[in-house]
Amino acid sequence: MNWFALRQHRKQLLIFGILLVIYAAFVIPTGLHFWHVYQHTVADCAQNPANPTCGDLSTSSLFPTTLDRILTGLIPSAVIFLPIILGVFWGAPFLAKEYGEGTNSLAWTQSVSRRKWLTVKLVWMLAATLVLTAAFATLITWWSKTTNALDMDRFSNGNEFGIQGVVPVAIGLFVVSWGILFGAWFRKVMVAVGVTLVLFVAVSHIVIPNLVRPNYMKPVSVTAPFGPRQDDAGSEIPQGAWITSNTIYDSNGHAVLGDIFPAAPPQCQKVIQQATSGTTNDHGTIRKAVPAPNGEDPIAECLDKAGWHQVTTYQPAYRYWDFQWIETGIYLALAALAIGATYWLVLKRDA
Amino acid sequence: MGAAVIQTKGLGKRYGSFWALENCNISVPAGSVSALVGPNGAGKSTLLKILVGLNRASAGQGEVLGKAPAQEESFLSDIGYLAQEIPLYKNLNAADHIKMGAHLNKRFDKEFMQKRLKDLQIPLDRPVGKLSGGQRAQVALALALAKKPKLLLLDEPVAALDPLARHDFLSSLAQAVADGGLTVVMSSHLLADLERVSDHVIVLAAGKTQLCDEIETVLNEHKLLVGPRQNKIPEDDFAIIHETHTIRQSTLLVHLKKGAKVPNGWQQHEPNIEEIILAYMGQAKEGGEK
Repeated sequence: MNWFALRQHRKQLLIFGILLVIYAAFVIPTGLHFWHVYQHTVADCAQNPANPTCGDLSTSSLFPTTLDRILTGLIPSAVIFLPIILGVFWGAPFLAKEYGEGTNSLAWTQSVSRRKWLTVKLVWMLAATLVLTAAFATLITWWSKTTNALDMDRFSNGNEFGIQGVVPVAIGLFVVSWGILFGAWFRKVMVAVGVTLVLFVAVSHIVIPNLVRPNYMKPVSVTAPFGPRQDDAGSEIPQGAWITSNTIYDSNGHAVLGDIFPAAPPQCQKVIQQATSGTTNDHGTIRKAVPAPNGEDPIAECLDKAGWHQVTTYQPAYRYWDFQWIETGIYLALAALAIGATYWLVLKRDA
Repeated sequence: MGAAVIQTKGLGKRYGSFWALENCNISVPAGSVSALVGPNGAGKSTLLKILVGLNRASAGQGEVLGKAPAQEESFLSDIGYLAQEIPLYKNLNAADHIKMGAHLNKRFDKEFMQKRLKDLQIPLDRPVGKLSGGQRAQVALALALAKKPKLLLLDEPVAALDPLARHDFLSSLAQAVADGGLTVVMSSHLLADLERVSDHVIVLAAGKTQLCDEIETVLNEHKLLVGPRQNKIPEDDFAIIHETHTIRQSTLLVHLKKGAKVPNGWQQHEPNIEEIILAYMGQAKEGGEK
């Protein structure tokens, strides 16, 4: 059965093996180059802090050429899409193709029990998924050390969180497992592919990053007087943290949602009128709305005096690995659910 | 003919509220080649799939080679099955299928299958998806036979084949049966083909068993009676399977009761198996329409 499982999926495995080699051929040289440039710049800036580029180091400022942009865009994207590509090419057809072409009834009438047939095939498929996603994840995690150091966003950027560390491996197993389940369920490759796509986008790009991930641990909360400039607020929040919310409260402790100007207390309305004259359609923040030639912000000062304040919640950077493992656990649990359901469908339903 | 290899009692399969197979009682003796016939949708495929353990019965029991059909090695290793679509792995070649058979079956006879395909001049190195329908059917049959099964279940294996390929296929099958130790159940709606190779017949129509017996017995027990037109025919000595009436004469296909003789006043003819099978299928149709 081992021989057969491998023979059957030989081509799929080979193609993705080749893709991995091609990917490595891009990632390893660019990773080395980017890291070298970064190290060099940091060393330079230590000697000449006055150099203008040293003030605001980021991936886009350090690697500004078109080629740099393409590489820094495409290299992470490949791993963002890897789970769904595997879900589509490995997961969904895995059983749907057998059902669709009737080869399941060929396989199930050899002298191998259906359970053993499914188990051996699943073990190889999931092991291949594990190895492949782990290889891609290792490459991109290593490659990202430059961008991580520059942008400090591996935690706060949802895409970065999903492609580095252990989470991408778990996402790969999750998508492939559900692709397999949908294949056994609908028995048509195209339907299974479609549903797997929808699931991937919904779970891995909408529900988990936005609704679930922020709640793994209770966020740290800091209260600041209203209207601190961006930098001031930033200074209270440690580097690399993931800011999960930023809410403005009025003097009564009620959250101010939406437009702040109409909600401002009466004593500030006049200030607002003066400071925003000519702009009637203001939906932005106060800083944006107010031209402040002398750096003063009269509206913010007024609101601050009126007792307004803002509360920022964040997940500190040191929780990164806790979050990685928690999310890995969630994806693996979802994958296990799909595998269990697949067993049930294959063993209980008619051929 | 030996003891029953297949024995079913009240076997049924329901899809939603529709019974694809209902109260099916058949018995297939060891060493026979049984023709499973019936119109499309009669439940032939369903019955075979239940017998081979691919589908589960909704009612009744079936016993195959003394075991209840199961998805277990101990049951599957003695059974060969060829599904209607003749499924093979299209991208794999015949040599890969031989290897597959050897890996997935303990008693698989590699040399037999290699020799057989060589004799049939089927290329071993070409993906089976690129072979002709007849060649694919031969690969599938060779695969099923190389497993050395005690019972071979074939679901309309010749339906999609041209007459020559059909002839070759049935010859291969007949040869395998002649080699001994094999019981075959083969479904088809091509009666003439079955007549050539089978010695036992099961007629399935409207989801029910209409007839299940050895062909010789069936021929002995059925008569075609022609006599003057009668409106009320006593069924003391026979059961009427099919009747046609003209103004002057009645023609009956009857099943004689045990030990009974044809009453006087009837001209007696020997119907062929095809006529008998058609009569049973017609009866089921009328019954269904009532």
